Amino acid sequence: MAGLTLKNLYKRYENSGKKKKQQNDFAVKDLNLLCEQGEFIALLGPSGCGKTTTLRMIAGLEDITDGEIYIGERLVNNLHPKDRNIGLAFEDYAMYPPLDVYGNVAFNLRAKGVDKGEIDKRVREIAPLMQIDDILDKMPVKLSGGQKQRVNIARAIIREPELLLMDEPLSHLDGKARQSMRVEIKRLINKIKCTTIYVTHDQLEAMSLADKIAIINFGVLQQFGTPAEVYDDPVNEFVASFIGEPPMNILETTIVKEDGTFFFTFDNSNLKIAVPSRYYSVVSDGFKCKMGVRPMDVLIGGEGSKGTPEEIATFENLGDERRIGVRVGDMLLMLITEDEKRYRSGDIIKLEVREEKTHLFDITTGNRIREQA
Amino acid sequence: MARIQLENVKKSFGKVQALNGISLDVKDKEFFVLFGPAGAGKTTILNCIAGINLPEEGMVKFNNEIVNLVDPAHRNVAMVFENYALYPQMTVYDNMAAALRSNLYKTDEATIKEKVHVAARMMKMENLLERLPSQLSNGQKQRVAMGRALVRTPNVFLMDEPLAHLDAKLRNAMRTELKEMQANLGSTCIYVTHDFMEAMALGDRIAIINKGEIVQIGSGDEIYYMPCNEFVAQLMGDPQINIIPGTIKEAEGGYVFCFEANGEKLTVSMPEDKELWKKIRETGLKNTDMGLRPQNVKYSFTPEEGYFKTTVYSYESIGNKSVIMAECGEYQLRMIAPNGLKIAIDQDIYVRFEIDHSMFFDPQTKEYVSRYDEETIREFAAEQEVK
Repeated sequence: MAGLTLKNLYKRYENSGKKKKQQNDFAVKDLNLLCEQGEFIALLGPSGCGKTTTLRMIAGLEDITDGEIYIGERLVNNLHPKDRNIGLAFEDYAMYPPLDVYGNVAFNLRAKGVDKGEIDKRVREIAPLMQIDDILDKMPVKLSGGQKQRVNIARAIIREPELLLMDEPLSHLDGKARQSMRVEIKRLINKIKCTTIYVTHDQLEAMSLADKIAIINFGVLQQFGTPAEVYDDPVNEFVASFIGEPPMNILETTIVKEDGTFFFTFDNSNLKIAVPSRYYSVVSDGFKCKMGVRPMDVLIGGEGSKGTPEEIATFENLGDERRIGVRVGDMLLMLITEDEKRYRSGDIIKLEVREEKTHLFDITTGNRIREQA
Repeated sequence: MARIQLENVKKSFGKVQALNGISLDVKDKEFFVLFGPAGAGKTTILNCIAGINLPEEGMVKFNNEIVNLVDPAHRNVAMVFENYALYPQMTVYDNMAAALRSNLYKTDEATIKEKVHVAARMMKMENLLERLPSQLSNGQKQRVAMGRALVRTPNVFLMDEPLAHLDAKLRNAMRTELKEMQANLGSTCIYVTHDFMEAMALGDRIAIINKGEIVQIGSGDEIYYMPCNEFVAQLMGDPQINIIPGTIKEAEGGYVFCFEANGEKLTVSMPEDKELWKKIRETGLKNTDMGLRPQNVKYSFTPEEGYFKTTVYSYESIGNKSVIMAECGEYQLRMIAPNGLKIAIDQDIYVRFEIDHSMFFDPQTKEYVSRYDEETIREFAAEQEVK
């Protein structure tokens, strides 16, 4: 078992034929990542962001353009995939159709020439862990999607790899199966304590499974931190809006100073929110930026509230919770409430914002504007 | 706009009975959602209304007129599909104008121009009119597909999972807009989805479809609070409702709920609810499956009065909140917790039921029997209906 280190990793796909002279953009650009032994890391980003390319480079299935990959202390750049001691579980199950589940799980060990008694012992050990002990004699075509994925993961971990790599292993499953598999994967990794790299585009999966999340966009690492860090303290607008469901409200704002107090104001809206005093050193009268606030930090004021009266534009009752949208200029500010009251669009509510929970982003770069220490 | 009725519609494909006696009455200007798992027959119902599928039995009526034998083109319905189905060689403008230019409508270009621009403004895509579909993002394509449906004044909008291909952020935004748009248009809309949040958020009424049959029809609140069986209860809500098998026993003039957790026999006394107790007496309910939403299971990490001990099976964040699953032997309990707690798998946890929020099902038939505050919820639902 070992950790994983990525140092200044680059990947560029070469053009072929006529376009050979043109250079593509980097698919992965200067990626640095340090995973401790036993950690569960999620690579998260929209499709095409380079997360799968990164995983494939770690596995050795893709050449590295520049940079270094270490598994534990070992530089693996020039190591053949089979010598990297890695377990793989991909989106497609790629099982051997003529072999039953037992045969599929045992295949790798058989190929390595492990003796029969040892193989049998290991398969019997792992089967209950993945809850496939009762389907060992079934053929792959008879299995449900969830079962196939269990077999697939069992196959990856039976070789006791130093590193387990998973690429969207749940994306083929329907909602319920996905939820229960997520729990199973978490329990499994907790038990076998194998360093795991998990690729997903689903922020929910990353948030619920990972010890740390690496958020990638356009091949560039945006932020690397625990779920709580990326949720509460995003480094830029991209991370802020990618993490969380419903996404963070991000509104363009002009800061105005009145009687020594700064306020966020919005075009074509009477909404006014006080700027937390910790930002006073970085803002000024007429300063333009973006304000971010999570829907659960926007509240409906009770009687005697000092909040701004606003008209409800949209009301969604989702059973467990209710979502309300209020127009701020031409943007929609969402809030979530577990309040049982049923509003209708057109109703007036007093809107309050937990000011201390607001974030500031640069209007052009989208980077977080932080208070000066 | 129109009232759409289906009467005992049956449809089979070969040996497969896709629809088994579907009856619906969609009111004029209603947003009606067909909700159910994959393969339930939702899209087949939509196709029967559009005229793409011919039912073998039963009637399809628009404004009380039978349309079974009317061609799809003459039914004047507007469809929006999951995969957009735009003409790739035409610009957005031409895509939207295509229906009006057809032999059936033969509208003059000036009127077309006006109608396209009105629809484009409504969908906030006036700047896209000159583009080809290949130059659009998925969200924009979906707007065009909707805009195209809007240029006509159809009897009904039929939408088949129009948001399913969009990413989470866009889906949220489009869902909100869709509801606003439908309210402004005052149009009848029948909407197919397998996403319960969409169903709840959009539907004035929801029909739950399973295996070619209607399981329940009602407002979101009715279906959420009074699901007609365990299947429906489990469909609505994320995380899923807890189903706890147990027995209701008489004790000191009232009732108690007895159940097992990790082999231990436990009892919770049930606060009085005259309506519920009357139901229990009438139906002679003893063995029961109790349904309790995850937000109504409370937990503590230290022993407390009224809490029972069990262990943590898993703890995971689902965004703005987290779910703890607790091991109870035969079943697992889901409960809502805040993010960022320090919880280890298999550690001890103490749990209490807010039993005055529970509902009760027959353990054999899985049918709904009764719940706490049923009367209040009925009144509440009726109040919603009035709008």
